[in-house]
Amino acid sequence: MPTMPSMPTGRNRKTPSKLIKNESGGGAGLLTMVLVIISLVLFTLNVGEGGEGFLTSVGGVAQTIVSPLRMAGAAILSPFVGVGNVVRNLTADEKSLTDLEDEIERLSARNVELEEAEVTARQLQELLDLRSAYNLQSTAAHVIAGATDSWVSSVTLDKGKGAGIEVGMPVTDSAGAVGQVMDSFATTSTVRLITDEGSSIAAMIQSTRAQGMLKGSPDGTLYLSFIRTDQAVEVGDIVVTSGLGGVFPKGLPIGKVSVVDSTPGSTYYSIVVEPYAHVENLEEVLVITSLTKEQRATAEDLQQSDAADMDAASGSAKTVEKQEDKETVDKTDADDAKTTDGYASNDDRYKVDDTTAASDEDDSETLEYESPHSTYGGGE
Amino acid sequence: MQINDARKSKKNHIALALVCLLLQVMASPNIGMGNGRINFALIYAGVYALSVGGRRAVVAGFFAGLLYDALSTGPFGVMSSLLTILSFALGLEERNRFIDGFVPSLSAFGVGSLLVQLFYHITLSMLGDGASMVDIVLMRVLPAYAITFVCFLPFAYYEVRKGSGTRGKHAGGKSAGLRENYYDLRNL
Repeated sequence: MPTMPSMPTGRNRKTPSKLIKNESGGGAGLLTMVLVIISLVLFTLNVGEGGEGFLTSVGGVAQTIVSPLRMAGAAILSPFVGVGNVVRNLTADEKSLTDLEDEIERLSARNVELEEAEVTARQLQELLDLRSAYNLQSTAAHVIAGATDSWVSSVTLDKGKGAGIEVGMPVTDSAGAVGQVMDSFATTSTVRLITDEGSSIAAMIQSTRAQGMLKGSPDGTLYLSFIRTDQAVEVGDIVVTSGLGGVFPKGLPIGKVSVVDSTPGSTYYSIVVEPYAHVENLEEVLVITSLTKEQRATAEDLQQSDAADMDAASGSAKTVEKQEDKETVDKTDADDAKTTDGYASNDDRYKVDDTTAASDEDDSETLEYESPHSTYGGGE
Repeated sequence: MQINDARKSKKNHIALALVCLLLQVMASPNIGMGNGRINFALIYAGVYALSVGGRRAVVAGFFAGLLYDALSTGPFGVMSSLLTILSFALGLEERNRFIDGFVPSLSAFGVGSLLVQLFYHITLSMLGDGASMVDIVLMRVLPAYAITFVCFLPFAYYEVRKGSGTRGKHAGGKSAGLRENYYDLRNL
């Protein structure tokens, strides 16, 4: 008689009617409701914390604990991350193209430094000492991971609060500005990239000093907003940070204008900017930890920015009217005092030709207008 | 009759949890498609719910979502609530649904994960700048859904093969059946 194989013993022997199921019992619905309520409570508490609190700390601890794994993952998967480069360089030797691109980035950044130094020298006012364009007080960091979810375009750095990195600090690489620190933990920090939809940086056209706001978008395109249509902008113009808001240092390269559009009757251009930094392939970056006095926007920059807003809002007619009134007052005051602005006499002061009238209007409007400090932007 | 080796099943699911956690931490930030990132927490919750179901799956989904929230830039509670509901829905029958075949399990996960991604991103958009629905769907939901679904395929294939392998021929034998949760005594 054939022997039956021995039945497996153990505590999990079940009756036939229940063997088909993995586990018995209900109550899953009630448990689901309880857990969903707990989740909603956690959500409410976390949002109410506003970036500081117990839950935020818990998130920070989790980030710190997994940071070694993230670094290991970045090292292991680096060949796969480079697949994008391989695809892009299919028509040429990949190493040659990559080396050439690195060289172009370096030269472009150096060129922007030289252009900015030249512009600053031309606009020299009371200050006699000039410094090099970028005297950045910063700390270097290595990118260890890309975005952790599909919502924010970000990268994770291998340094955090322990290295002095705080939320809000700007981040740049050898090519230009790349983003701003949005979270800082013990050993890591998260940087929101300039191409992210939630990013906004105070920027300006380097050649004309036209000031605007650089914003990201869901598809990664950079848009420069609030550049009036009466200001000169051309494809190829270099865009740099304006320093307004005191977050990014003034004059840091961002990119160049690639598209300039305007619809008839519109107040502002629609400008697309091509960034210098390749945010999708970041490796080493600089986190700017503090700004020197020269790197901040000056009071005159603020006044120019506010004046630009006023002009856009009120139109040029009021500007002409104010200039006429001021000239009348100035002429009366100047008769009683010797001029110190380089004119030989009071009569010479008012001998302005048509070509300088426009710039004089702006200058006089800027000097007269007093406004509270205008936080124009400068990031998050 | 089928016998459930619960201890082996528990080991398998612990291994699944560890694998998904490691992949979420190490692989997800470095591999993406456009703005889309792989959500291994969603994959884990889906696999567990489809293979086990019931209360255990609901709890697993909750903690998987909580861990995802802790490691991402979003607030706590969003993914945990969505994965809790997903696990409940997929695990309603409280049985291994992978033995029904590859396509039915893919269909169930496909619909559920798409809804999870959609509600997750809509919730985040309501907390932020309020981007247009077209941008949310095209730039974030669809890429994330597509890459997550693709990564779910090998997990589903493994579970289906595990389930179909114990249904008949190799039960109690030296081959893959020794590693399965179920084995059929009728074929002995």
